[in-house]
Amino acid sequence: MEEQVPGGYFGQALIVDLDAATAHTKPIGESVLRSFIGGAGLGAWLMHECCPARADPLDPRAPLMFVFSPLVGTPLTTSAKFAVVGKSPLTGRLTDALASSHFAIAGKLTGHDAIVVRGTCAQPSVLMIDGSSVSLAPAGDLWGLSAAEAERRLRERIGPAWRVAAIGPAGERLARYATISHDGRHAGRGGLGAVMGSKRCKAIMVRGHEKVLSADRAAVLAAAKELRTRSFGPATAKYRELGTMANLLAFNAISTLPTRNFTAATFEDAPALAAEEIAELRLLARSSCASCSIGCEHLYRGPGGSKTRIEYENVFALGPLCGVGDPDAVIAASARCDELGLDTISTGGTIAWAMECAEAGLLDAPWLRFGDRGALLRAIEEIGAREGLGELLAEGSRLASARVGRGSDAFAAHVKGLELPGYEPRTLQSMALGLAVNSRGADHNRSGAYESDLSGRHDRLLAGEPHVVAAIDSEDRAAVMDSLILCKFLRGVFREPFSEWASLLNAVTGWDADADELACTARRIVLAKRLFNLREGWTCDEDWLPQRFLSESLELPSGRLATLSADRLRAMIDSYYRNRGLDATGLPAVGTLHELHLDRLIHN
Amino acid sequence: MGSAKAALEWHGSTLLRRVTGIVRRSVDGPVVVVRAPGQELPALDPAVEIVQDAREGRGPLQGLAAGLEAIAGRAPAAYVSSTDVPLLHPAFVARVLGALSDGIDVVLPEIGGYPQPLAAAYRPALRGVVEQLIAEDRLRPAFLFERCRVLRVGEQRLLDDPRLARADPELSSVANLNERSDYERARALPPPAVVVQRFGTLAPRSGSRAEIVRACTLAAAATAVGLTLDEHVVAALNGDQISRSPELPLVSGDTVAFLAADAGG
Repeated sequence: MEEQVPGGYFGQALIVDLDAATAHTKPIGESVLRSFIGGAGLGAWLMHECCPARADPLDPRAPLMFVFSPLVGTPLTTSAKFAVVGKSPLTGRLTDALASSHFAIAGKLTGHDAIVVRGTCAQPSVLMIDGSSVSLAPAGDLWGLSAAEAERRLRERIGPAWRVAAIGPAGERLARYATISHDGRHAGRGGLGAVMGSKRCKAIMVRGHEKVLSADRAAVLAAAKELRTRSFGPATAKYRELGTMANLLAFNAISTLPTRNFTAATFEDAPALAAEEIAELRLLARSSCASCSIGCEHLYRGPGGSKTRIEYENVFALGPLCGVGDPDAVIAASARCDELGLDTISTGGTIAWAMECAEAGLLDAPWLRFGDRGALLRAIEEIGAREGLGELLAEGSRLASARVGRGSDAFAAHVKGLELPGYEPRTLQSMALGLAVNSRGADHNRSGAYESDLSGRHDRLLAGEPHVVAAIDSEDRAAVMDSLILCKFLRGVFREPFSEWASLLNAVTGWDADADELACTARRIVLAKRLFNLREGWTCDEDWLPQRFLSESLELPSGRLATLSADRLRAMIDSYYRNRGLDATGLPAVGTLHELHLDRLIHN
Repeated sequence: MGSAKAALEWHGSTLLRRVTGIVRRSVDGPVVVVRAPGQELPALDPAVEIVQDAREGRGPLQGLAAGLEAIAGRAPAAYVSSTDVPLLHPAFVARVLGALSDGIDVVLPEIGGYPQPLAAAYRPALRGVVEQLIAEDRLRPAFLFERCRVLRVGEQRLLDDPRLARADPELSSVANLNERSDYERARALPPPAVVVQRFGTLAPRSGSRAEIVRACTLAAAATAVGLTLDEHVVAALNGDQISRSPELPLVSGDTVAFLAADAGG
């Protein structure tokens, strides 16, 4: 008997084989959908199902997945999101990069909850998915173009009803932190653009013909209306008015702005880069993602008068982290990363590592110095082209430091190979734990524990049990938001998040989930990712922070020293393991697997 | 004084809330209030611990014994303060605690020719001696100082510390309020001058983002720049502690940075 598909879903994934230019569907049962929801959660389950064990991320057999969610296609604000999931060429572990655009809606309306791409094209190609029909078109003329230009040409050539996700030159050249772009947005972290490049797939085009049916359309509409109203409130004001760039000057004031490869946490030129300053001089427009009422995008005047979208993370990584305080240079660097298709955080992190190595005489690159805007721009060019020093830097700081040796790994600020985002772990010690244990590596989107550090609920410099509780709570919330998927900028509008999210999910699917069920789902998703990494060779040594953070203190303006010792981090990780139902080596206990039904849902 | 000192109003807060808040700002370890049996206390920061004197009316040594017992094993030293010193400055606490070195049991400031046993630093290991003195009915702190190694620190030496000299040159930190008139005089002093910075959406559209205001508490500083301390606002004190506690005490030289609570990307 055919299983009924819940509202918001199609109950199947499209499995594309690039070698043969064919596709088939893989049914996904309701129990799986309810257990993993969609987006990052469903992506984790699909990786268990579809990725051969220990496959190299750039191996043709390694899948690249575009995973949608039940809320995509509904009028709920910020729901036009999808997760790109695969094995990260930087970390060798699971990664899921979320992005918002019309690609999410068109992709889902092909009639699939996920699109899984395997194999390799014989030549540079564009994968076209029109409903369930799949074809390849040559992309030789697009090879070498930026993702935005490739997208523009393809839509002009084939039609505006198609939506495009494309890679830039960095992805083609397998830079390990290359992005996948669409509508000017980027699925950024983890290097899945290189996975797409390894498949010689310049772009994926989707056109949908289906409709998303909600179980209770009236309830969805009412919820959408209410959520939209709340999205205009004070909890999102920061994003509307200044965008994430508002963080920069504030973080500088509280010694949380990583500077010169984490050798300092304040930057003397921060005021010149601050949103409060440059908005007045350069802000051109505000914009929104598809289906979003927040409007967090701030477009600034870039090189040659172009419009460039910049965020805190771009500016932190290409500015203070590299010691560059010239806003022209930072905006130009950010724009160039977008054109080449490079994750700005890993780009800045890897260049900052190289700058420190060069200054210490570990790298023969006398031109590469902290604060040198020309050096920053040259390094980005070389990475995008994989030329000169770029051949090394395109590998990311972990692999590059392994190649350089001579103690250069002491300067590589990464966890599991993923470069740290713009949150100083010594002055944000809940976040320090979140960065250390996250399955994706050093990441601020799968763990937003900095929020707790900055709430005043505990001393952000004295790691302890409250910090562990906060880090777990943050991971759980992120797991659900990234699976529904809703934008994290909306998180402040939910008073009782798990029960409110359950209500949204129920209205779309017809389920009767409650807050407890979603809390359980969150734990399941977090552990499903951990289990995947375990299958791929993860050991608990990977749940750790670089030595610099454990051996060098930072002095705050108050005179207090921010110190995160190895013992303190160890104690937090041990407690995290206990609270997550893991053993002392970070492995899930049998009882935990059973309780979360992971022993039943994951077969490999 | 005519009323319990602990609960006396102090610019929108209370004397005890202020003094415990300043001590808490100055130390990493626990902050303990010792109260008399049955004594009612005003609202305090939830992190402040409260213990009770074993017996009432036994003077400062009884309170000292209870306090040292409460922190035993949790701190290498205790700064001991009376309730009625609203002009106490964290720089004074830091100076006194900083003078404690190996071989010293007590750092005893001497100001205006008087020792200040209720503005001094003590080793927790003194608890046994203190209890013995209480048992012997020798209840004056001077008896304790006869039995331990005391570093007496005069005004000049205290003020050799440039931070303290800048923050509290008159050493008003030890000015206690014995009479109603003392309280009224101190209460009439202008609140401390603090620098307020506002960031992001909290910043003014034009003009400077930093200004000097007079405020005894975080709430007063927020009000002075037209902000309300609600769930969307937090404050960083001197680039260090993050707080949204309205009664967080402020002192001269402080910098308060108001940030949007919705931090992050």
